[in-house]
Amino acid sequence: MKDRFGGNQRRARFQALCQSLRPDLLRFAFWLSRDRALAEDVVQASMLRAWKAQDSLLDEAAAKPWFLTIIRREFARTFERKRLPCVDIDELIKSEEPSLAAAEENDLAELRAAIFKLPDEYREPLVLQVLMGYSTAEIARELNLSGPAVLTRLFRARSQLRTLCGEDLPDARNSRDAK
Amino acid sequence: MIDHDAYRRALLADPRDDSAELVEHREACAECSAYRERLLRFESRLQRALTLDMSNLQRARRPRLALAASLLLALVVAGAVWLAAPRAGLAAAVIEHVVDEPQSWSSQAPVADAALAGVLHDARMHLRAGAGEVSYASSCEFRGHVVPHLVVQSASGPVTVMVLVHEHTAAQVEFDERGYRGVIVPIAGHGSIALLMRSSEANMQDVEGVAARVRRAIVWEP
Repeated sequence: MKDRFGGNQRRARFQALCQSLRPDLLRFAFWLSRDRALAEDVVQASMLRAWKAQDSLLDEAAAKPWFLTIIRREFARTFERKRLPCVDIDELIKSEEPSLAAAEENDLAELRAAIFKLPDEYREPLVLQVLMGYSTAEIARELNLSGPAVLTRLFRARSQLRTLCGEDLPDARNSRDAK
Repeated sequence: MIDHDAYRRALLADPRDDSAELVEHREACAECSAYRERLLRFESRLQRALTLDMSNLQRARRPRLALAASLLLALVVAGAVWLAAPRAGLAAAVIEHVVDEPQSWSSQAPVADAALAGVLHDARMHLRAGAGEVSYASSCEFRGHVVPHLVVQSASGPVTVMVLVHEHTAAQVEFDERGYRGVIVPIAGHGSIALLMRSSEANMQDVEGVAARVRRAIVWEP
């Protein structure tokens, strides 16, 4: 009886954890995949894996990075299982338009479309930094990169975004890549 | 001291980097200081652009990946991980109710004690001092029961509080849907309370603070 109660409690805590993190996890998966349906599939499969591996989560405070790592791996598995077709970015943006441009957020639609156009290797660290609040060291650990490599990708990501959005005309000073 | 190029490269990599060498350059260079201001404004837009409205995102189209394994596991999950459904349904119902009472957000004057006591009496409860300033109080029909619908003012704006004696939930659940962020908090033996703010001004610390104050202030009547 005690075990059953303990199990129920643990399950309830895990469910609550999943529920509270789900919006952020979906956002992360969406920006990773640029596809709502795929993001939902990946998050769902990731939560199942997380459920099975919940004993490995020793600290609830570390739950978000733990989930994000599972999602990244699940996303990679999805690519291994099935070669996803190459897509035309403009078509992709058009197809995801309801997500990208809610009525009250028209001013952000252009920026979201620009984020869509970023190469994966720039978009992912940017999302981890801006949306998930990761430090450079945490991004480096998650993506298995060096700190300077992360900074270079972040620099390039923002440079490209600002150019795409007409924020900064590329000039000698700010278009030069970090080495 | 680092040069302009190095400063801007570092800033584009991490606009919130406040390391000593960046601060030193910024304080000595008006042009780069102005550049930082522009970049921080852009950063704010970037943050908002990435924070998609989940109610749009969750309205999924037909899944493209019909993974058999996923479906099988989904059955397992129906009783486990994906148990969010009943609580998500409760959150959706609370939001639906709040959407139908837009006037609740706009009143700012404190509700008269007698009016508040009348609303709370319907739920066989009263509030001690300390719950915060209640600017709206109404006895509302919710899922077949009459419940107190309050709005409590917080530092970041009004927080809707619904005392749901008949709605039981096992654990605290946060939600973020349709432009509202909030939390459903279980109350042992007395159902739950739902608290939410409009996403545009939502500060979950304030919501949690109001939740704690209201919980402490509630006195259940026999």
